[in-house]
Amino acid sequence: MIAKKIAITGLGIFCGAGKDVPSFTGALLTGASAIGPVDLFDVTPFPSRIGAQVRGYDPLDHFDRRAAARLSRTDQFAMIAAGEALTASGARGHYSPYDMGVSMGSGAAGMFQGEEWLKESLRGDKPHPALLRGILPDRSATAIAAGYNLAGYQGSVTTACSSSSTSIGWGADLIATGRVKAVLCGGADSLSRLTFAGFNSLRVVDPAPCSPFSLGRQGISLGEGAAFMMLEEEDEARRRGATILGHILGYAVAGEAYHMTAPEPTGAEAARVMADAAGRAGIAVDRIGWVNAHGTGTPLNDAVESKAMRLVFGERADKVPLVSTKALTGHCLGAAGAIEAVATLIALRRGIIPQTLNFRGIDPECDLDYGHAGPRQSDAGVAMSNSFAFGGNITSLVLSKA
Amino acid sequence: MQREFSDIVITGLAAITAAGVGLEPLRETLARDACRLTPVPEEVAGEPGHLWGKADGFRATDFIPPLKARKFDRCSLFAVVAAGMALKDAGLDPALLDRTRIGIVLGCGFGGVANSEEFLRGWSTGGSDGLVPMLFPNTVPNAAASNASIEHGLKGPNVTHVQRLCSAESALLMARRFLEEDRADIIITGGVDEINPVILRGFRSMGQLRRFGASFGEGAGLLVLEKGDHAARRGAAIRAGLGAVRTVGLLPRGHEAEGIDRLLGRPGEPSLVSLSGTADELAPLTGRLPAVPLLSPGRLLGRSLAMGGSAMVSLLLSLPAGKHGLHLAASPEGPYYAVDFLGGDPVQS
Repeated sequence: MIAKKIAITGLGIFCGAGKDVPSFTGALLTGASAIGPVDLFDVTPFPSRIGAQVRGYDPLDHFDRRAAARLSRTDQFAMIAAGEALTASGARGHYSPYDMGVSMGSGAAGMFQGEEWLKESLRGDKPHPALLRGILPDRSATAIAAGYNLAGYQGSVTTACSSSSTSIGWGADLIATGRVKAVLCGGADSLSRLTFAGFNSLRVVDPAPCSPFSLGRQGISLGEGAAFMMLEEEDEARRRGATILGHILGYAVAGEAYHMTAPEPTGAEAARVMADAAGRAGIAVDRIGWVNAHGTGTPLNDAVESKAMRLVFGERADKVPLVSTKALTGHCLGAAGAIEAVATLIALRRGIIPQTLNFRGIDPECDLDYGHAGPRQSDAGVAMSNSFAFGGNITSLVLSKA
Repeated sequence: MQREFSDIVITGLAAITAAGVGLEPLRETLARDACRLTPVPEEVAGEPGHLWGKADGFRATDFIPPLKARKFDRCSLFAVVAAGMALKDAGLDPALLDRTRIGIVLGCGFGGVANSEEFLRGWSTGGSDGLVPMLFPNTVPNAAASNASIEHGLKGPNVTHVQRLCSAESALLMARRFLEEDRADIIITGGVDEINPVILRGFRSMGQLRRFGASFGEGAGLLVLEKGDHAARRGAAIRAGLGAVRTVGLLPRGHEAEGIDRLLGRPGEPSLVSLSGTADELAPLTGRLPAVPLLSPGRLLGRSLAMGGSAMVSLLLSLPAGKHGLHLAASPEGPYYAVDFLGGDPVQS
């Protein structure tokens, strides 16, 4: 259990489903999915040609030409969402730069630009070196630290699809230890040929918009974007008059040690992490009103996550909705955990449980309440957000509204 | 007994470096101050006159069946083998322990880059028919730690950090916290990295071959961190105690001194200082170093993003029992780390 109370004082989001918190909130409430045709690069060779791309994006709407050239698409998303969270928190100016930090979760990072470098290089051309500037997953954190003068901590977790859930949990730890007083934590990722071709080659991309927990689901729909939270120790935040949006109550992280791409089939390992997260949050699982699932829409993931729910919640599992927001946002890989954590908090504060979109029929292997029928009112104060990743890396976050 | 260092101790080490496979080649290299850098073939660097710290003595098939070894990327091979060596050095057999209490938190640099390049090269040259699905899972930087966790059955916390030249120190900070929080009893931490032609081509393209890309190295440097009481209960041989881990994210212009003050903490009296990343080039830091022997393993073995792992192993191999060691790491644009160690068993000190 994290001894200090870790308050969430600002949110920021930039993704296909919304380019700031208000527009994303609207999409979440109405179920306006961002999944559609992808034109960022050529997707015609693939069975699936759709994704939750950030459309109508012009970097010059957000950065001057020089800054835009120095930042990868992922870095730009990260800067925009981090800036929104920082501004919303009002924390800037209240702390020494050395008391503020950034905890980032990353995935493919600047691979989209790196692919251009490789393509030109293979053609025998001399590609522009700036295309490689963001190739490593740490670049976004460095850009945020420098751009917003956050000198206390600069770190990047990269555990594929659980990266940014872990970065949020770790951000809470950084506050709990007193290492920093305020930390921007979240994640960013962009669509790339590598991930689009990679997941297609593994045959886990649905040609139609993904339909988590539905009969006949064939896999994920990829997405891109960024989301951030500002975390502060609650007493400090209250002293400076911050609005407390909610809390990170606890988190758990572990490796399944089972398989690089397949989840442990009984759900026992996932259940262990979920139960541990509740324990570390200092709450009984009975207090968890609903779970924002990893819910990718792959046949295996959704069945295993459903089994894990039964192991954690027992007879109450039927009464704890397990919803996936990935049919809204696409699977944003390194940013997925942060986007889903932000979605979870928004939903808690709005008193709703989001809908799992794109229902195709009841799958006997998925026998819980998945919220397929539509969003519903809820007085839940606490929810869990799950992230499962390549390598068997699992993270579960427990969040509460203020 | 020095309580500050006894709560978390180091009970195992492992190294795969340009010096060779295992701790003894590294110890000998440090003792002789022998440079293990070798010339980069001209066809790889694109021009003559470059050195690298290639771990040429490492043959994965000495440790892993060839068919299994084929499915791993090079970073994963380093991590799987070095994690096994670290566990053995610590006298640990995960099969006899609660596996959920053993974690792995690694820093990784260029892990996944080689697989990504090969996968995309197939796509560029052969379209969708040229894609090799087997390559894709190991394009993620966490493949090394995750493959090691799978091979050794480590079910505790599993996290990978990449943060410039301080990737291993970033991992160490988290590993230390996870033990403090009782998320595990034992965590393997440190760094793993690889160097290969595509990375050198990238450095060359960016004009960094003679600057930050100069003399890059590869391999693994791992430490087994263990809760002191856990180590005591099982009668483990303790190599060192781990003290404070301090960090700052960047040094804002005009406020460098405050950052260095925070980094160095209260004045201590280290007997030996190891330098990693660009710590040896950071004037505000080097000007504050005590007049004690300095260890710069990167000069002998090559620099890498996760070189802090092998640098910390080097420090611990060189640090006498009862003596304080200080590890300093820096990256251009940050972050910066300082780690305190006490040689030998803190309970005996």
